[in-house]
Amino acid sequence: MRCEEIQTMLPAFADEKPVQLGVRRHLARCADCRAELDRYEALAGGLAALATTTAEPPAALLPALVDIPARRTRIEEARSHVARNRKRYLGGLAGAIAVAGAAVALRSRRVAAA
Amino acid sequence: MADELVERCKQGDEGAWRELVEATYRDVYTLCLRVLGDPDDAVEATQDAYLKAYRGLRGFRGEAMFSTWLYRVATNAAISKHRARTRRRSREAGPGDEVLEQIPARGSVEAAAGAKVEMDRLQEALQALPPLYREAVVLRDVYGLGIEELAKRLEISETAAKVRVHRGRKKLKEMLFSEDEDAV
Repeated sequence: MRCEEIQTMLPAFADEKPVQLGVRRHLARCADCRAELDRYEALAGGLAALATTTAEPPAALLPALVDIPARRTRIEEARSHVARNRKRYLGGLAGAIAVAGAAVALRSRRVAAA
Repeated sequence: MADELVERCKQGDEGAWRELVEATYRDVYTLCLRVLGDPDDAVEATQDAYLKAYRGLRGFRGEAMFSTWLYRVATNAAISKHRARTRRRSREAGPGDEVLEQIPARGSVEAAAGAKVEMDRLQEALQALPPLYREAVVLRDVYGLGIEELAKRLEISETAAKVRVHRGRKKLKEMLFSEDEDAV
């Protein structure tokens, strides 16, 4: 096998070690391909090591997350308030629309008269 | 400990929720930051994840460990955010220094035969990786998702998932070792 063929396979070797005899023989003989495999192994080790480190979140994040249950409660209370008073809100809305309609009608009548 | 906290949360105990968040939010934020490469997006994804987790707590039956379940929710939140961001910007600008300064990994990791990866250079290279590859490599190689699981989360075939991981590894290797190779 040629080095180009082997080197296209190397990124997969972190998941599964080469089983083909031809690949293993080539790696045993070829220092360049072994060095390349070594780089991929160092990369895999580095990436795995990242799992043990954490980033420092912004200070505002924790209070925002802790507040989620209270925020949901406030939203639910607002929803149930609207649901309880639906008729009253709808009545108010209908009244507002009627007043606006009357105002428009009055204005068009005045414009027509002028 | 976590099981007891989860049970108390289900009963509406806000103190238990606080304890649960305090114990887990750094890891969840780090996962989101590594997948997304941007602190603002990572904050939003973390908030989405906890909101979904809170809503889903009643359905959590404890078959998996709570942290595993929460990681799954967080991974999905980060992937969704990534998709939304990809739709928003066709081309992403490079990462700010702020991201790199936030992750305090130092030192190096050495392979058996001697190749060495400096951790701060690895973080830089990871942030500079195209987002599609970063997402796949982070989930596979940092957080250990299997290819089948990765493909499912990314909603792509297993072959496509493998291709993304392998290309990502190749690019990372080139970024990290190109100077060494030039010097030889």
